[in-house]
Amino acid sequence: MQPKTTMRLDRARVRELMALVVATRDVALPDDDAVALRDIGFRSLDFSELALRVEDEIDRELNFDAPGLRSVVTVGDVLDLIDHLQAGS
Amino acid sequence: MAGATNSLLVIDGLATTWAELETVRLPGNPPLAVLDDGHGRALRAVARHRRDGGELLIAAAGRVDAELRDGLLADGFHLVTPDGLVEPAGWRPEQPGRIWILTSGSTGRPKRVPHTLASLSTVGGDQPPRVWLCPYSPGTYAWWQVVTLSLNVPGQDVVTIDPARLDSWPEAAAAHGVTAVSGTPTFWRQTLFRSGDTLRDLPLAQITLGGEPVDQAILDRLAETLPGARISWIYASSEVGAAIAVHDGRAGFPVAWLDRVAAGRPTLSVEDGELVVSSPYAGDGLAGRVRTGDRVEISGDRVLIIGRLDSDEINVGGSKVSAGMVRDVLFTHPAVRWARVYGRNAPLVGRIVAADIVTDGTVGEAELARWASTRLSEYALPRRIRLLDEIPMKETLKSDV
Repeated sequence: MQPKTTMRLDRARVRELMALVVATRDVALPDDDAVALRDIGFRSLDFSELALRVEDEIDRELNFDAPGLRSVVTVGDVLDLIDHLQAGS
Repeated sequence: MAGATNSLLVIDGLATTWAELETVRLPGNPPLAVLDDGHGRALRAVARHRRDGGELLIAAAGRVDAELRDGLLADGFHLVTPDGLVEPAGWRPEQPGRIWILTSGSTGRPKRVPHTLASLSTVGGDQPPRVWLCPYSPGTYAWWQVVTLSLNVPGQDVVTIDPARLDSWPEAAAAHGVTAVSGTPTFWRQTLFRSGDTLRDLPLAQITLGGEPVDQAILDRLAETLPGARISWIYASSEVGAAIAVHDGRAGFPVAWLDRVAAGRPTLSVEDGELVVSSPYAGDGLAGRVRTGDRVEISGDRVLIIGRLDSDEINVGGSKVSAGMVRDVLFTHPAVRWARVYGRNAPLVGRIVAADIVTDGTVGEAELARWASTRLSEYALPRRIRLLDEIPMKETLKSDV
């Protein structure tokens, strides 16, 4: 079995990946973390894609047993959650 | 069988005929398994079978693992290999006239399907003279199709090409005056990708596709590259034989062919989205209706063969996505040269659609994703795209589509 990597993406890099996800729909990711996800059309499929992009870069799976998905409302919430999931995986 | 013993065979660059071909000689007439990547021993074994009717299995060495090899020996086969003859411990009487085909193994371990030279001979009558290139791995159903054509129909010469030299087949075809080539869609995509200009210069009168789903984009690209060639696609498998042949340049076959019953011809049906075939060319014991495991969709006046039922459907958050339909949409992008679409485990939605793609180098992942987003539903959109440098192809000339 391959040893798990301990690599973590910082918030800026996760933001870049999130921007790539929404760019497919020609949406620019706002700089403001307080922008609501519904305003940029960021939904569960987008979050799944973002999580896989993060997993591909850190070369391990995120731990989705961690709580907190219901509190995701803004761009900042997504960045916080990914940070939280990386810490728990 | 009268046959066409004067048809020319080119093996390892050297020309011979069926009549001149030295046959594999063994004492008695034991069941024979030729396990070799090259065509020489395989064709000599065919010549022996044609003369003596001995029991025969042919397979590329790479398709036969130790367990299968041991199984053949236990079943009384003599193994003809590049390293020599391996004799079984026991002996059993041969099954006269029996030819065994190994299935492609896409649904698990290869299994043996019983045929005869007659059941493998699906083309007859008057045919225009052709020099066929045979790129198929020895012993596959498609290989037997080319070989039996040469055996049975006058004027059908065959130029074989060893797997190790497959990349240079257009040059070999030019050198030997090839006028007809049969290959999988993956084979043709790889040829267009690597040797499109050389292909354009070949005097091909007939090109044939089979072994994998055939989409409109590859038919159109081949028609554009070789405007003088007749383009056919064949639906065939080891189990049901050659069941569908389409020559009108369109993907799929006419809806009007469904449930049409005619003596000596296959009957095609659709049940629960699956192609069902009754074929006179089926393997022995497989007469009657055979569920093929291939998924079909009816689109307008055509029945499109999409892919394997057991791997085509991707469940994305409860929405069902056809990998084959997504693949065919990707194929319509002018820069896409090959694509494989599959499901990938993902949080929240269970699975998402992912794709491995080979392009002509003029587009990147973002452009492909944007392009697909205007043609596919949100759930069917490939969310992870991996760009590959080369088109992957197995020795069966197929990729994992």
